[in-house]
Amino acid sequence: MSPGPATFVRLRIRLTVNGLRGQTWRVVLFVVGVLMAAGLAVSGYTLFALPGLLGEERAAGLLATLGGAGVVLGWLFFPLVFFGVDESLDPARFALLPLRRRALIGGLLAASLAGVPAVATLGATAGTVYAAAVLGGAGAAVVQVAGVLLGVLLCAAVSRAVTSAFATALRSRRARDTATVLLAVVAALLGPLQFLVLASAQNADWDRVERVAGVVGWTPLGAPYSLGSEVAAGRVWAVPVKLLIVVVALGLLVWWWSATVERAMVGTAGGTRASAAAPSVRPPVDQLLLAWLPRTRFGALTAREARYWWRESRRRASLITFAVVGVFLPVMLTVTGGGAGGFLPFVGALAAISLANQFGYEGSAYAANVAAGVPGRVELWSRTAGFSLFVLPLLTVIAVVVGLAAGRPATIPTLFGTLIASYGVGLAVVLPVSVRAAFALPDTQNPFAVSSGGGLAKGLLTFAALFATLAATAPLQLAAYLVEDVWRWIGLPVGIGYAALAYLIGSRLGGDLLDRRMPEVLAAVTPNR
Amino acid sequence: MSLRGLVKRFDTKLAVAGLDLDVPAGSFYGLLGPNGAGKTTTLSMAVGLLRPDAGQARILGYDVWTDPAEAKRRFGVLPDGVRLFDRLSGAELLAYHGLLRGMDAAVVDQRARELLDVLELGVDNRTLVVDYSAGMKKKIGLACALLHGPRLLVLDEPFEAVDPVSAALIRDILQRYVAGGGTVVFSSHVMEVVERLCSHVAILAAGAIRLNGTLGTVRGDRSLEDVFVQVVGGRTATGSELAWL
Repeated sequence: MSPGPATFVRLRIRLTVNGLRGQTWRVVLFVVGVLMAAGLAVSGYTLFALPGLLGEERAAGLLATLGGAGVVLGWLFFPLVFFGVDESLDPARFALLPLRRRALIGGLLAASLAGVPAVATLGATAGTVYAAAVLGGAGAAVVQVAGVLLGVLLCAAVSRAVTSAFATALRSRRARDTATVLLAVVAALLGPLQFLVLASAQNADWDRVERVAGVVGWTPLGAPYSLGSEVAAGRVWAVPVKLLIVVVALGLLVWWWSATVERAMVGTAGGTRASAAAPSVRPPVDQLLLAWLPRTRFGALTAREARYWWRESRRRASLITFAVVGVFLPVMLTVTGGGAGGFLPFVGALAAISLANQFGYEGSAYAANVAAGVPGRVELWSRTAGFSLFVLPLLTVIAVVVGLAAGRPATIPTLFGTLIASYGVGLAVVLPVSVRAAFALPDTQNPFAVSSGGGLAKGLLTFAALFATLAATAPLQLAAYLVEDVWRWIGLPVGIGYAALAYLIGSRLGGDLLDRRMPEVLAAVTPNR
Repeated sequence: MSLRGLVKRFDTKLAVAGLDLDVPAGSFYGLLGPNGAGKTTTLSMAVGLLRPDAGQARILGYDVWTDPAEAKRRFGVLPDGVRLFDRLSGAELLAYHGLLRGMDAAVVDQRARELLDVLELGVDNRTLVVDYSAGMKKKIGLACALLHGPRLLVLDEPFEAVDPVSAALIRDILQRYVAGGGTVVFSSHVMEVVERLCSHVAILAAGAIRLNGTLGTVRGDRSLEDVFVQVVGGRTATGSELAWL
């Protein structure tokens, strides 16, 4: 007999609890994560319920439909891009157990509903029930409850099905690497796209938005959340049709998922030997180093780091995400009328943030550097240098593009100065953080995986670093605003000086910290198996 | 290599409980132990990869934990269960290790080519290490440990996942290395390999040395396997259990 969903739910909870056991900081981070989720749930509930309070029937329908669709889309993309899928219930781990596929699918679905995100989603979308109850009476509320429950199911099914399908499609390392990068591009483009939508929404009249919402309401994305407003609007006939749409979509998703889960369980079949690259006759050292790097420890570290930013898929993905976000968002802001100047420190800080878990990217391979006894400062300097090989040209491009887009090429140097300053300050903040709060990324087949628990919490730490950077660059922003005329001339040198000073302090601090903590960092980034 | 009173505790489990071990220079030292005996933990503490809770580790007279720079210059390590910088090709990885050890670029080039050639990894093979087979990964790891010509080699499970042909090659290399005055410490749970290679043996169980000395004194007139099973306290099947099999 196969175990029921309750077994899986218990397993999931047990894994979460065991993951927290005996590690105070993990418990703290977990609690912070839960509080954040609770905050999101409450504010989501309020937002969704607001039209009900105000008696705005039209707004209620719009918000529930579009907001609900947004939530589903979030479940689709968020795990893929930012926090990873919770791998604790990886189907491959059940491969050897005599489980029927239905029991497995049901169990995994139930288990993913038993997590913090699912509960938070349920809490937030429950706001639509209130709105429906106020505007459409008890009937609308009951229908909306069904819709919200189906919606959560849909969210869970979407995220599990898509990630499972990806994991299956990406058997060979090469395919995995490529897909990670492609996905990063897509995800990074989402931001600008959303921005474009928002910008056009500002200009658009409500009728157009309503037409869009109407269409979305008939897709599986918005259908579960638009049930209540249909009743309120007197279109009761739409309810069974929309329910059917959702149930069919859910069925298709689960069917697709169960098809891919079977293949995922079989795991990576080898056999795809990488096509051998063309042989090289250059001596090993020349193969490793770029021509102009010194043939020293620093040179080797820098070259290895630079190659890793390009060859390692997770790093390349974050680099590409940064490139897209960094170039598009400021340009969008400029084109749509708002100045991008205030946004640039954010871009510089974002670049530095990529290094927040720099030791985690390579995992236990860092042992080589520990065994060789690389001094902390050399380590951090070379890592910064390797990363900057990519970032500095990018920052230059961003400054030029933004300056041209604003139609004021003369401001390009000061823009660049701002970018450099925030990048330098960002590094100063991030380098010690990367030593102090390194964490392991899992060695799994799934390129989107983040180890269970902690993922969200570590993301929070990154946010903290981001805000610290923005706060630390505020004086420059202020100066630029106060002495605008002079700033045009001194913006670049002051920015560079500020960055250099901050970087020196930060790298010194981080380097000394690393000298004392090398084995601890290694232990922190070694994935548990 | 000399280890004194090493202790390592993981959460509640005592992985290594006050371990003393002296490895004479020029010896070929086998560290034997069942799974979970603390072999990897001990070797990691000996080479500075894992901070011990107590005790000290000296290598060729230098304390690994108070004078790491001097000590680390003198040994080569092949850790087990640790990834390499596997997004580099074999040649690049060797160049990286060489320069990391502060070696001259020309020497690195020459030695790296020789090692790649001898270990049959292909001098002009540009496949990334991540795409290597398990055995090839062990070999490139060994090459990295040998590259700077250390006087002491610390190898954790060097023969695991290695095919017999490569294993024979590695044995030859190590034997020649010891004959030339080098010292090798390696862990294993394969008796045959240890019996064939080692001049000295230590048997480790539950985080402490149970028996050590030269191969002859440890083994006496029995086979190493018998001694090992007896010391570790393994049970022998009597036939009454698992009767349903």
